Amino acid sequence: MMNNYKLTNFNFGRAFIYLILAFFAFIYLAPLYVMFTTSLKDIEEIRSGNLMALPIDPTLYAWKKAWSSACTGSECEGLAPYFWNSVRIVFPAVIISTILGAFNGYALAKWKFKGSDLLFGAQLFGCFIPFQVILLPMAKLLGSLGLANTVTGLVLVHVIYGVAFTTLFFRNYYVGIPTELVKAAKLDGASFLKIFRHIFIPLSTPIFVVTIIWQFTQIWNDFLFGVVYSGSGTQPITVALNNLVNTSVGGKEYNVDMAAAIIAAMPTLVVYVIAGKYFVKGLTAGAVKG
Amino acid sequence: MGSISLNGIRKSFGETEVLKDINLDIKDGEFLILIGPSGCGKSTLMNLIAGLEDLTGGEIVIDGNDVSQESPKDRDIAMVFQSYALYPTMNVARNICFGLEMSKMPKEEQEVILKKVSSLLQIDHLLDRKPGQLSGGQRQRVAMGRALARSPKVFLFDEPLSNLDAKLRVEMRTEIKKLHQRIGTTIVYVTHDQIEAMTLADRIAVLKDGELQQVGTPYEIYNDPVSHFVADFMGSPGMNFIECIVKDENLIVESGGKKYELSIPCKEALNNSKLDVVMLGIRPEMLTEIQPSVEKNAYIHKVKFDVEVLEPMGADTVAIGQWNGNEVMARLSPESGNTAGKGFDLQVDTSKAILFDPNSGLRIR
Repeated sequence: MMNNYKLTNFNFGRAFIYLILAFFAFIYLAPLYVMFTTSLKDIEEIRSGNLMALPIDPTLYAWKKAWSSACTGSECEGLAPYFWNSVRIVFPAVIISTILGAFNGYALAKWKFKGSDLLFGAQLFGCFIPFQVILLPMAKLLGSLGLANTVTGLVLVHVIYGVAFTTLFFRNYYVGIPTELVKAAKLDGASFLKIFRHIFIPLSTPIFVVTIIWQFTQIWNDFLFGVVYSGSGTQPITVALNNLVNTSVGGKEYNVDMAAAIIAAMPTLVVYVIAGKYFVKGLTAGAVKG
Repeated sequence: MGSISLNGIRKSFGETEVLKDINLDIKDGEFLILIGPSGCGKSTLMNLIAGLEDLTGGEIVIDGNDVSQESPKDRDIAMVFQSYALYPTMNVARNICFGLEMSKMPKEEQEVILKKVSSLLQIDHLLDRKPGQLSGGQRQRVAMGRALARSPKVFLFDEPLSNLDAKLRVEMRTEIKKLHQRIGTTIVYVTHDQIEAMTLADRIAVLKDGELQQVGTPYEIYNDPVSHFVADFMGSPGMNFIECIVKDENLIVESGGKKYELSIPCKEALNNSKLDVVMLGIRPEMLTEIQPSVEKNAYIHKVKFDVEVLEPMGADTVAIGQWNGNEVMARLSPESGNTAGKGFDLQVDTSKAILFDPNSGLRIR
């Protein structure tokens, strides 16, 4: 079939498609370009120059300031401490919610009990609860647990909110794994946990990657929970970025704002670049060939 | 040792009764085949024996112990699945040894068993491969190896050959039979393939709608079926069934435009039944070309037959026509098959013919 096509021939339809693709690629990439070039300019050049122009004299001044000395409200330590706050929230929250989701999904998919489908339906409902609805009850809960304004409290919130999604991911993945594997392993004398460890976990790399990317992005990018449940020393980077941009000492330093925004977005970008191909694979992975 | 007694087994899924009062004794070392159309409950019965499903009623006794409440691993049973169910991330060696590993057997002993099993099944060269790198027949062997490694009391085979192509299926069938002769362990084998059932079984249990229809040797099931259903299910090409009017202990058959009176063996039963119309059951191999060597007796008839369709199968040719408006298959030699057509002279041997009540489908005897 392909041989009948002459790909080298000029074709108006094809040219039109490429033109549209190029146009949208430009629209999507333009803000990133502006952010990046602006972050490398000094403030004089920003005021006088063209938004789209390349920096005449590139400098890392804005990056250094955004990282270590820009003011976020009354503190002037840059984003660095909040970056580490976010790391301290994201890692445990992602790991715990993923592990819980894997167990839940495994049990709901392969160890059906009376009412297990109903339970799954109820869990699924958790995916559709808006953040705003749980703000007050959650604040009360964190208060009575003594976890208000702590990193642990934020981890707990993200785990609870994330389990609905991670369970859904794992359950749907495990449903595609033949139940006969469980039967065979039962006859081989393996227990609930041993079947999970020796048979299901080794098959789960794609879905672990999907879940980790999803959870990492959600939790790292979260602003609402971060702003509501954090104290002065435990704010995540998204909240600090907001404060940094809104704090003006003297004139507005657009170059620092841009550098700060890129720093805040960097980890999720890195995760996508490293694990992105697994993400697509995991989303499309069907039943396991035995 | 591995005798199994199924006493009054019942199983329901919600309102649906899948198995209704199954009673069956399987002797130690026996090769028992469970056969029936899909949905007859044969796989459910197998899962019950394995302990993968809970009984609704009745008890399962293995070697004199009631195991109805025991978990699968305590029943000392191994199973080969239709899909093989090999663990996809483990290599062949670990697949085979997984059960031993779970029972915490020392590594050295596992190695010994692995060597024995893999050479028995000729899969020594595959031990490092993953299941995904194996062909269908090789996976089948590994699945059997996994079952063999634990040397259980009973093997359960759940349609193990149905995923293989026709040629390989015949090969593996022979291997399973050889294997059983060598190790002598009790085997319960589920299939819907009647040729597998005939060739492998010591005894066949025919199941329909959750009820046992007949249990017997392949010879009994083939030649002495209790009902129209069993007779119809076993044999390929299947038994011919012809509705006939009874006249003076003989059956009237119209074939090739002429009427014949066929003499049949079970006259007394026919008289006792007082039926005017019966269903004649006769296997295709009893309908052949004229064979001069066969001695004439009351059960050998010569009948004109209008052949409508010929199906050459190599070793013989199936000729299809009509008797009393019912489709009838005859089994001819390839040579006479070539010349068969309208008004073909058919030799009909009714010595093994059987009769059914056309209403109930039960044997008249």
